[in-house]
This record gives sequence, C-alpha cells and structure tokens, in this order.
Amino acid sequence: MPSLFVIRGNDQGTRFELDAPAVGLGRDASNQVQLHDTEVSRQHAEIRRVDPNTFALADLGSSNGTFVNGRRVQQYRLASGDQIQVGSTLMLFTSPTEEPAEDLAEKVKIASPRAADDQSHIVHSVTQQEGSRLFELQAGAPQSPWLERAQANLQVIYRTALAVSHTLDIDQLLHRIMDLIFESLEADRGCIVLVDPDTKKLLPKVRRTRKGARSDEKITISKTILDYVLENNEGVLTTDARDDQRWNPAASILQLDIREAICVPMQGRYDVVGVIYIDTSSSPQEIIKQGGAAKFSEDHLKLMIAIAHQAALAVEDTRYYSAMVQAERLAAVGQTIATVSHHIKNILQGIRGGSYLIEMGLKDHDESLVRKGWGIVEKNQTKISSVVMDMLTFSKEREPDLSPAELNRVVADVVELMQSRAADEKVALEWHPAEAMPTLVFDPEGLHRAVLNVVTNAIDAAGEGPRPGQVAVRTHYAPDEGKVRVVVEDNGPGIPPEQMETLFSPFVSTKKSRGTGLGLPVTQKILKEHGGHVHVQSAAGQGSRFVLELPAVIPGSGPQTLVR
Amino acid sequence: MVKRSVLIVDRSEETREVLKTALERRGLRILAAGEARRGLELAREHHPDLIVLDLEVDQLPPAEVCGPFSEQSEADRTPLVVLGSCRRGLFGRLCGEFVSKPYHFGPLVRKIEELLEATGRPRARSA
Repeated sequence: MPSLFVIRGNDQGTRFELDAPAVGLGRDASNQVQLHDTEVSRQHAEIRRVDPNTFALADLGSSNGTFVNGRRVQQYRLASGDQIQVGSTLMLFTSPTEEPAEDLAEKVKIASPRAADDQSHIVHSVTQQEGSRLFELQAGAPQSPWLERAQANLQVIYRTALAVSHTLDIDQLLHRIMDLIFESLEADRGCIVLVDPDTKKLLPKVRRTRKGARSDEKITISKTILDYVLENNEGVLTTDARDDQRWNPAASILQLDIREAICVPMQGRYDVVGVIYIDTSSSPQEIIKQGGAAKFSEDHLKLMIAIAHQAALAVEDTRYYSAMVQAERLAAVGQTIATVSHHIKNILQGIRGGSYLIEMGLKDHDESLVRKGWGIVEKNQTKISSVVMDMLTFSKEREPDLSPAELNRVVADVVELMQSRAADEKVALEWHPAEAMPTLVFDPEGLHRAVLNVVTNAIDAAGEGPRPGQVAVRTHYAPDEGKVRVVVEDNGPGIPPEQMETLFSPFVSTKKSRGTGLGLPVTQKILKEHGGHVHVQSAAGQGSRFVLELPAVIPGSGPQTLVR
Repeated sequence: MVKRSVLIVDRSEETREVLKTALERRGLRILAAGEARRGLELAREHHPDLIVLDLEVDQLPPAEVCGPFSEQSEADRTPLVVLGSCRRGLFGRLCGEFVSKPYHFGPLVRKIEELLEATGRPRARSA
C-alpha cells in the first residue's frame, strides 16, 4: 500500500494510506489526507493512481503551491522516496516495490547440510568488528602517498558508518563524529551546528578544540559562510589569507596567524540538517616551514562532505524514529482515554438515572422511589471510586505499604463487600479461609484491591454461565514453601485461549461496558510489588481459577522489604 | 382503554429500571429487554407503540443493531427512539429520533410522551 508519512508539520508522525484511486490533500475535512496547516489550501492537491504502480501528484490551484523534492510542480509522477511539501507540511511518499512480488523463498534456498548439493566449507572468517581493518595499511607493502591518503579516507568513512550504525542518541553520535574528524584532519577547533526542524534556528551541538589550543576561545563562524553553505548545499574551504604576500617567507611582515576553515552542509536524504565547521591556524613559523599555509586541501573538503552526509542520515533517522514513537504513544493515550471515558460515561448515565428517580420521588412524596434512586446512585458511586482507585494504582510507581496484617481478615472483607453484587447476579459466593493463617507482612490495602478485582470478575463470569453461578474464595498457607495463596474459582464460561494473552494488558476488557480493562493489570501489579504473581487456569465451559501467590513474610523474621 | 406500551431495549439494568419506573407512572405498559435479539422478539410479538433502543445493547456495529428495529417500527408505524454515543448524522436518517448519550432522563421521558401523543390513540391490533 503506497503511503504518505508526514515528517514535518502539525501532523508530524501521521501516516496516510493511499488506498483510493484519487486521494485529496488539503485543509478541508473532505480530504482523505487532511492537513492541519493554515498554509495549506482547502483543496490543495490530489494524488491519482495512474496504473497499479504509478501515482501522479497534481496541484489543484493551491495558493502556496505544491513542491516535490524542493521544486514547485503542477503535475508530477511520484517515485518512492519523493518528498512532497505543501504549506509547512513535509511528507514522504513511499510505494511498494514495482517489481511483481516473487516468492523469494523459491529463489533462495536455505539448505540443510545433508540435503545440500553444495560442497562449500568455511576457509576463513572475520568478525563483524574486524571489517574496519579492510582499509588499514599493510606494514611493509609499498605505498604511494595518494593510495595511502585514499585508504586513510576510506578508513575514516568506514568508521563513521560504524558510529552511525551503533547509536540512536544524536548528541553521542555527533561527539563521536567530531572525534573521528579530529583524528583524521589537522583541525584546531570544530563544531557541529544543527538546524532545528521546527524553528529553523541554528543550534550549536558539539564544540571541540585540539589539546593545547585555547579551549575557552569562542568559535565565530561567519553568518555569510553558514548561509552560503546551507542555501547552496555546498561545502566551502576558506582562508583569511589575503592576496597579499603575508605568507611569503621573503616578506618582511610575518606576524599574524592565518586561519583556514572548512564548512560543510550535513545533507541527509531529505534535508540539510546542519553544518560541520572546522578550522585551523598556522603560525608564521609553520608557514615558513611548510612553504605555505594550506593545511586543508580539496581532498579534506570532500572527505568532510562525505562524513557530514553520513552524520546527517543518522540525525534524520533518529528524528523520524522518535516522531514515529511519539505518534504511537499518542495513539495509545487516545485509546486509553477512549476506554476510560466510555466507562465513566456509563457511570454518569447511572447517576443521572438515580437522581431522576430521587427527584421524582421527592416531588411525589414517594419515599420508595427516593430509596430506589438512591440505591442506583450509591452503586455508581462505588463504581467510580473503584475506577479511580484502579487508575491511581496503575499509574503510580508505588512501593507497597507493608505492615503486619491478617490475610484472612482482608479477604473476608472483600467477600462481605461483594455479597450484594453476587446476590444481584444470582451467584453463590463461598468463603473458605485457611485455618492456620499466621499474621503476615503485606500491604493490606493493596491486597484488598487485588483480591477485589479478581472476585468481581469471577462473579461477573459466573453470572454469565448457563448453570447457577458459583464463586469460591479460599486462602491457603504453605509454610514449607514460604508462600500464601488466595484462590478464586468460578464456574463461568471460562476464558477463550485467544484472550489469555491480553488478560493482563491494560485497557483491554471483554466485559463490554462493565469493564475498564484495569482490574487484572492492577491485581498483577500489586502482586508483583509483593514479589508474588498471578496464575490463571481456565477451560472453556468449565470456569476459571485465579491464584494470587505471594511470599509469606512473618513479622520480625528479617528485613521487611521485599526482594523483587 | 388498552394501555399503550413502550419497549425498552438497553443492556443497562439501571436504565431499564429508571425508564420503567418513570413511564409506568405515566400509565404506560413497559416491555424490557437486555439484549437486541430478545428485544426484537418482544417487538414482533407485542407491537409496542414505541421502542427505545440503546445502540450499545450488543457489540454489533450500530447500523446492524438499528436496522431490524427500524424495519419493525416502520411496519408498525410506531416511533423509534435511538440512544447512542455515535454521531447523530449517521442515524437520524435511518432511525428517526436520536438521543445522544449521556442524556438526561427528564427530556427523554418528555420526548417519549410527545411522540406517543403525536401518534394518537392506540390502534386496533391485528395480532
């Protein structure tokens, strides 16, 4: 499926699939590619499918024009990798490969040793890291200066590529690139300036001075040179040696240093993301010794352009990657909010219903109606407090509030609390406490929540089944294992195998409007905080069994912190 | 006089209870169902004078939930009130009266009364 991916602008990170024969781009909501960009016209442009693998872009008389790869176009046949700019939105067009899909598994065979008609054996192997030695000079081999230099340059480029492939952190990468530049060129000072993708401001990122050079010195880069490099996308080599005879050893005045600089654009796949600047000064003595000031040559400039290109690709990669991560995160947040607000909306509907009955009862002086309404309001109040508590437990990185407590007491409270709900669902709720349960160290409030959520689910499940619903809650103490368990069993319809995987994923609920999708994730979180876990067994038509297992910590038996 | 009847199809027991209580006090006979299939059976059997349908009664797409009820109410020439969270535009055309959730019960009950008045006296039933 061909697509447009917004790499800059208000819709950054959005991917539009071009699945229709004609797709409109514009600010208006009628466009399949709707852009939230005031510089985009309402009906700005259109992408048409000419044949299955060809797409044509047409400007629809927009006010600000449509640009492909920086050039204004009216009509344009798109190729994968083209950049489309409308207003301040920049998009990347990608389409599947045009070659008919062939089954590569047919063409490339991975043969087992025995079946192979291939008699190859390994004669030599090189580790991945050793690849860089490809360009190393061999001692003793005759070398021409040109070959030596070319090999050294290749070596630098190879190492740059390695640095690029090994890090996703832009700052760290730029420092590494600067190291490499300083190792291979005689620079005294250097800096990397990035262009901020949003504000277009220039932000200095890395500054480096050679040892021995004055490090507190400010690096001043001429704006004229920077602009020239950025606008023309060309690297420049500059010197402040004037057309006078300063560097002529024969000249009498030889006092000033001569500064040479190289400034190159960081040209990536789509944009110039910044510049790299290095400079060096030659003292009069050096100039005399070398017979000239030129420490930097055109070769150096070319090498720098190549390095900067590699660095730019990495900067772009990292930016698009984080834009994508950000977009995914926003989508997840949206999903979460949708689930929670749906749940709260249902609760609100219940509260409104209850209040309506109360109002009616008060008007008619009918106490039974008021009582009925109040019952509904109260039930929904419990629901909302439970949603809020679950959300809090889930959102906080919290330490369990450990204190000596009675597990049987905590579970008995939950069972008592849930009796009325069980009765509503016509479910028999049984409670079998362990006889010899010692006082243990745990977070009573946390465990209360954890057990409550599992028991609530069990009652709901048991209420759904065709048989009379039954839920049994047990506690169990295993001193030899040093563990306690709370077991909750129901005779509901059971959990289908495909739902087992998402059982503990937050905001995935199968209880339709009744569930927030937070119950089991919260239970699991609390048990993990205690160094325990939740086991689930379920068989279709047989019901489910949840075991909440945690270490039995006897008060005073050691440090009362849990090892997780 | 035969009592006029209203069918409530909503998965929330609370909503069914509130509407039932309020409408019974206004002299109406209430039929209620917690799922679409049962609701449709009641509609076909009793031909209620009005149907209140919550689109979230099943996990089906709203149009699929609404369709059969819409046909039934058209055949009976009785109003259908649809409660839903989706956009009004989608269902106004299909189902007549749309009430967006979360709603207030007062206005909903008034709307039901108005619609019943507008459709006049109970018809002689064929079934």
